[in-house]
Amino acid sequence: MNPTPLVVLEGIGKRFGAVTACQGVNLAIWPGRIKAVLGENGAGKSTLMGILAGQYQPDEGQVLVNGVPVRFRSTREAIAAGIGMVYQHFTLVPAMTVAENLALGQEGGPWFSPSAMARRVSTQAEALGFAIDPDARVADLSMGERQRVEILKVLSRGCQLLILDEPTAVLTPAETQTLFAALRRLAAAGVAVVFISHKLNEVLAVADEVAVLRRGRVVDECPVAATTSPAELARRMVGRDDFLAVDRVPLEPRQVVLRMAGVWGGGLHGVDLTVRQGEIIAVVGVAGNGQRPLVDVICGLRAPERGTVTILGQGWAEFHRTAPWQGGIGYIPEDRLGVAVCRELDAVDNFLLTTRQGFCRFGVLQRQRARQQVVELMATFRVHPPQPQLAARQFSGGNLQKLVLGREFFRRPRLVVADQPTQGLDVAATHDVWQALLAARTVAGVLLVTGEVSEALALADRLVVLYRGRVVAAFAADDEVEVARIGLYMAGAAAQEGAGS
Amino acid sequence: MALVVRKRREPLPWWGSCLIFLAAVALALGGGGAMLALQGKPALAGLSVLIGSAVGSLWAVEDCVLKAIPLFLCAVGVGLSFRMAVWNIGAEGQFALGAVGATWVALSLDHLPAAVLLPFMGLAAAVAGGLWAGVAAFLRALLGANETIVTLMLNYVGILVLEFLVFGPWKDPASFGFPMTAEFVPAAILPALPGTRIHWGLVLCGVVGVAVTLAMRSSRLGFEITVCGQNPAAARYARMPYGALMAVVLVAGGALAGLAGFVEVSAALGRLQPSIMTGYGYTAIVVAWLSGLRPLGVAGVALVLAALRVGLESLQLDFQVPAAFGGMMEGTMLLVVLAGSFFSRYQILRRPA
Repeated sequence: MNPTPLVVLEGIGKRFGAVTACQGVNLAIWPGRIKAVLGENGAGKSTLMGILAGQYQPDEGQVLVNGVPVRFRSTREAIAAGIGMVYQHFTLVPAMTVAENLALGQEGGPWFSPSAMARRVSTQAEALGFAIDPDARVADLSMGERQRVEILKVLSRGCQLLILDEPTAVLTPAETQTLFAALRRLAAAGVAVVFISHKLNEVLAVADEVAVLRRGRVVDECPVAATTSPAELARRMVGRDDFLAVDRVPLEPRQVVLRMAGVWGGGLHGVDLTVRQGEIIAVVGVAGNGQRPLVDVICGLRAPERGTVTILGQGWAEFHRTAPWQGGIGYIPEDRLGVAVCRELDAVDNFLLTTRQGFCRFGVLQRQRARQQVVELMATFRVHPPQPQLAARQFSGGNLQKLVLGREFFRRPRLVVADQPTQGLDVAATHDVWQALLAARTVAGVLLVTGEVSEALALADRLVVLYRGRVVAAFAADDEVEVARIGLYMAGAAAQEGAGS
Repeated sequence: MALVVRKRREPLPWWGSCLIFLAAVALALGGGGAMLALQGKPALAGLSVLIGSAVGSLWAVEDCVLKAIPLFLCAVGVGLSFRMAVWNIGAEGQFALGAVGATWVALSLDHLPAAVLLPFMGLAAAVAGGLWAGVAAFLRALLGANETIVTLMLNYVGILVLEFLVFGPWKDPASFGFPMTAEFVPAAILPALPGTRIHWGLVLCGVVGVAVTLAMRSSRLGFEITVCGQNPAAARYARMPYGALMAVVLVAGGALAGLAGFVEVSAALGRLQPSIMTGYGYTAIVVAWLSGLRPLGVAGVALVLAALRVGLESLQLDFQVPAAFGGMMEGTMLLVVLAGSFFSRYQILRRPA
């Protein structure tokens, strides 16, 4: 093993206004090793890595590269020092080819030789086990392939430390394996890799050592070999013992809140579905198999072309014409920042987004009263930081989602539609969301659309599998025979005794 | 030593924006001086005439305020729709229709006392301007027609409507063939505030400014307009009536531009004639864009651009510069101020070598 660390962080602290993102962080990164940085949303992972990559400047402490203190003022300087980062949101030009993207921002003369670049790309890609056509347009590549281009881009600039921010969030399982293989190859070649994640299994699968971040501090750092189990890691990460174990006491299903019969439209092919008060129905399936139109139809954003939809005893058109703000549908959209909130507005205004009818007298909004309600919700739903004056974009994903949940449950919905409610959330936030959904059953029926079968099994009473706009299977969550076949159904195999039974 | 450009983390305080605006105005004036020099005119003397005649006397300042009043009304109107990211650039046509509406009442109900006649004229102007903008909202809702194009094109139609009336049915038989209506009766003339040449339109501006500020800040309607402007997807999700709100901002903006037309035709001219169209509706777009859409900012920018108009009139007389010089100055100012707004979003830092 190399005797000196490549990069050392000493007492790093960073504040954004009133929010402390990290504090007194010490970390050593060694060449040839993969370090996972594990933490909840808002634990300070991204800020810490942003400091390493030159995106932010620390308020306290220093960064040493090969034992020499450095102070990066831009990502360009960090790259010059051999530190490169692959962001969650890619920074490629879709209309250009792989080779052209790699050439962007490169130092060198004014001339560019596409063929020479393509040759360099091919050699590099092969060394990593990446199959990439240098002449392919980025727009035509899958997410996994784009990520490989990003990694190549960083490496082609001579980086010795590669930072990846939640690299597996956009990958299929097979692509994840390819990525991990490449990371191991890189480590073997002496590159240091830092890998940000909140997925425990991945950390155990690929990392050599793990640092656990909580509320801006490193609470634990150890070799992965010394870690006993995912549960142990998770406990350290959230600092609470009740993670992941949700008690699902089945409730007696009561009246029907949603009934769909033979519904067509927007890619749906004759969907039948029933949701009763007191139960959670999970809709599972590979993304893009009709989940979007299903949710849109129920929530009134798209009219069904054929078939009948009955919501709380009323026909679709009738219900959505008058749609009460309270006691109707609570909808948690998949795209939090893009649909569920306005980024620049504060928590109070975002709360009013769907509850404004209840805080309005003679056309004037009662913001003071709404503010008190938001403060209460923030306490109930453990939103951190509990500051209603912060803009939506200033909350981390999990805290924003809890805010959205609090708002939607405040409307006392009798039908809850939750579309991928825990996507991108860490263990603790996922747990809080799950608890909230289970609690909602006492007054509402819940339709949970999720890509995670484990989530569906943890929460739902019944599962419905969508494939190409059709319900190909519907069964109880404790039907072990059917549960074992979920993978087949998701791939399109129809149920033996007919769908929707 | 090298310089780096960086996005500002904290937004610039309001006085910072003011400073940038004033610096940009100074730069634009310098550019104007250079243009004067190119024409072989004395640049410094020209600029001092420009500034002196705009702010050098009480009379001049009153002139600036008078010109700022219609600018303010039009700019608050277009600013309403800008907040919703709806691009109403038709204030000029809405202004023309407002003048026509007010004139119609002034000519046909001239027996009424001022206390009744003036509110009626204002109402007619607001309705006419609002309906004119409503055409764009209607076409957008019905056919998905782009409101930017429609409001722009309706400007030309609106001005032609005005010209048709003053060249035809409304032409004063005693005007020796000039295209103008008969002079309004005294009851149809907006009176001046006591002790000044400034008319009651100023009070109207105050009322409009306060009303719009309150509506945007505290009302549910204003909240919904803000949300629609910030994130149309969230507005749809929250079941806000996007189309209806768009109609509201367009019609309200048209009504305000119409009121400006009423103020001008009544107080400034006392009759309807084509010379009423001096481009207030176009300048108002510049004002709204430069003001950050806050009514107080609109007032400040409207005063500056009005002062420029006043100063340029004297400059034209004293130095025989062509009338187009005014347009060049206004355009320079817009460009420089917009370029200057770069500094309100970015900062330039020194980086030690």
